[in-house]
Amino acid sequence: MDLDNNFSKSKTIASGIIPFTFVVVLMLYIFGPGADLLDLGIPLPEITIEKVDFIDSEIQVTVRNTGPISVEVVMADINDRIQPAAIEPDRFLERYETALVRIPFEWNVAEPYRIGLTIEDGTRFEKEIDAAAPALEPNFDLAIFFAIIGTYVGIIPIMIGLLWLPFIKRISKQKYHFFLALTVGLLLFLAIDSIEEAIAVSDENLAGSFNGTLLVVTVLVLSFLGLYYSGEKFIQRAASSKLSKPVAIALMISIGIGLHNFGEGLAIGAAVGLGSIAFSTFLIVGFALHNTTEGIAIAAPMSKGKGLVGKALIGKLVALGLIAGSPAIFGAWVGGFVYSPFTSVIFLAIGAGAIFQVIVILMKWIRDEGDKNLSSAAVISGIAVGMLVMYLTSILI
Amino acid sequence: MKFTRSGALIFFLSLTVIFSIIVIFPIVSEAQSEQKTFVTHSGSVIQTSGEIIDPVYTTTADPEYTEATVEFDPMKYLREFNYGKVSTLPDGKILREFTIIANDDQVMEVSPGIFFNVWTFNGTVPGPTIRATEGDIVRINFINNGAKEHTMHFHGIHPAEMDGVFEIVGSGGGQFTYEFEAGPVGVHPYHCHVMPLEEHIVRGLYGVFIVDPKESRPAADEMVMVLNGLDMDFDGENNFYAANTIPFYYQHHPIQIKTDELIRIYVVNMVEFDPINNFHLHGNLYKYYPTGTDLVPSFYTDMITLSQTERGIMEFEYTYPGKYLFHAHKVEFSEKGWVGIFLVTDDLEKNNQDIKYGS
Repeated sequence: MDLDNNFSKSKTIASGIIPFTFVVVLMLYIFGPGADLLDLGIPLPEITIEKVDFIDSEIQVTVRNTGPISVEVVMADINDRIQPAAIEPDRFLERYETALVRIPFEWNVAEPYRIGLTIEDGTRFEKEIDAAAPALEPNFDLAIFFAIIGTYVGIIPIMIGLLWLPFIKRISKQKYHFFLALTVGLLLFLAIDSIEEAIAVSDENLAGSFNGTLLVVTVLVLSFLGLYYSGEKFIQRAASSKLSKPVAIALMISIGIGLHNFGEGLAIGAAVGLGSIAFSTFLIVGFALHNTTEGIAIAAPMSKGKGLVGKALIGKLVALGLIAGSPAIFGAWVGGFVYSPFTSVIFLAIGAGAIFQVIVILMKWIRDEGDKNLSSAAVISGIAVGMLVMYLTSILI
Repeated sequence: MKFTRSGALIFFLSLTVIFSIIVIFPIVSEAQSEQKTFVTHSGSVIQTSGEIIDPVYTTTADPEYTEATVEFDPMKYLREFNYGKVSTLPDGKILREFTIIANDDQVMEVSPGIFFNVWTFNGTVPGPTIRATEGDIVRINFINNGAKEHTMHFHGIHPAEMDGVFEIVGSGGGQFTYEFEAGPVGVHPYHCHVMPLEEHIVRGLYGVFIVDPKESRPAADEMVMVLNGLDMDFDGENNFYAANTIPFYYQHHPIQIKTDELIRIYVVNMVEFDPINNFHLHGNLYKYYPTGTDLVPSFYTDMITLSQTERGIMEFEYTYPGKYLFHAHKVEFSEKGWVGIFLVTDDLEKNNQDIKYGS
């Protein structure tokens, strides 16, 4: 019996490995040494300028080899005029390797620049900067500045939104469902907004070889699945512990919104970093108004938390508000000091996945609460109004 | 249910690892090794731990990274004139015979680290400078070793069948003999005249043809400068401009001349795509003979404008020693390589020649 079991186990393993071995053999045949089956066509080199920093009398360019073959970066130019430059660590770039090109140049603030790099076959790659602005030096004052902006954008509006809690608590079940559905609408909008932003950033800054849209989708699904799995487990356990289910759901919403706000923080930090201060003022006002609605999203499920009163409730609300809001501060730091388009695409996609997960949990909850009915007037109008409110406040950004 | 705790732990651990990789990934390449310094155009000194990428012309030494098959020394080309194999014809005329071989598979390191497939006459861009005296018979044994059709079309006066336009010379060893009487006096270009013409020219199939007057011009330090451009990415715009092909060459390797010595430059503009080019000399003015056809200068200036294949002879002397720039005053061209320096030194040898040693 035991022997039999072992035998069938090894059979299973073998039958799992055999196709894999064939795949390896196939790969070796196609790509291995001496293989010239696919030696057709001409691979075109490609480099991508991912980042341009304007520092004192110098322009620093981060370049990545995003093509199928290794390249040499041999010349730099500013506005199509050749400039002597340095490249660190060296001019040879393997696939996906990056290098820093330092171009000494007396640049002028707020003027547009086209940065060009030429590789060994004479092909020139260009990146256009709309307005040059000094790169932010990470220092204490600036960190405080970003923290204050993050607080204005993230924490305070959400706290204000949470003040609707007593109101939501007193209304009828129908109206309560409306507010839950409203939250779904708000979140749906945020998720789509995050996806759009992630795809825009990847289109502008990432090379085609990253498959920007698919990268966003993959990270989004992974983030959704991961959070969905852990979220379910968390809510299950919350049900049997001192945390009530409404609080657990509110916490999931806070985490989802927190990840989203990290993305918003990145956008603000990057906008300040790129010197578009006027633009980022609008961004800050817009996000602040916009994020008040996020407070409602957290408050709605919380209002069903029985037995939470007084200090305990306020403490929980403050904690949830901080979880949802404070990532904006970290986002602003990251966006302002160590902005990398790749990182921000990833975080925006994770945020979108997190929000979709929250939407699913909320919908489930509405369905359980509302007698298995998702097509009531309250739910439908709630989602619709949520989307509309978000769209209207987003115009301000 | 027993796996929940450890399962969740593993899950969060792997999430953490993935996140840290995502964050660290873009900052992978770290700089190290020793410091190098270089001086920028505006004179500031920059230190780097990496490599310097500056079109100071030094050909890539490492054979692993050199694809170049063209050997071209702009300093040698500058003062190299080919008079051909000279013989006297029965009627007393001088015959000058040249062999010119066209090729289109050569690779040239046109700027440090940048390799370009050039099309060549006798293996270089520009092709050899052909020089004859007015009235000489020029005979060119032209061999086309390229993979495409090529011809040689001389500017000047010659019979129609010697014009190198309709007598296409086939690839892979096709031959043609061009023969004509050198004239008129002046400096002329020659180039391939096969369609698509623009491509055959910008790829490098051109050179200079000088016809000296019978009464030779006064002795001088003579040079040839072909003003040309290179379109590396085939977008119909030049990426490089130069005097004699290599951008910035004479800036990093100044042309040494002497004070009070007559300098004569045969300048030919072969730049395509851009309608005009020009030549500005610092600290001096020159006498300019358009096309070199007249022995009396037309202008005394420091700035001439040249359209396609427009050319001429400039003559000047420097009084004061030092470094003098010459460049296109269409500054875009000079910032893309069409710039050079004359290093003028006091002519000590001239004085020394008067001193007789020994005997």
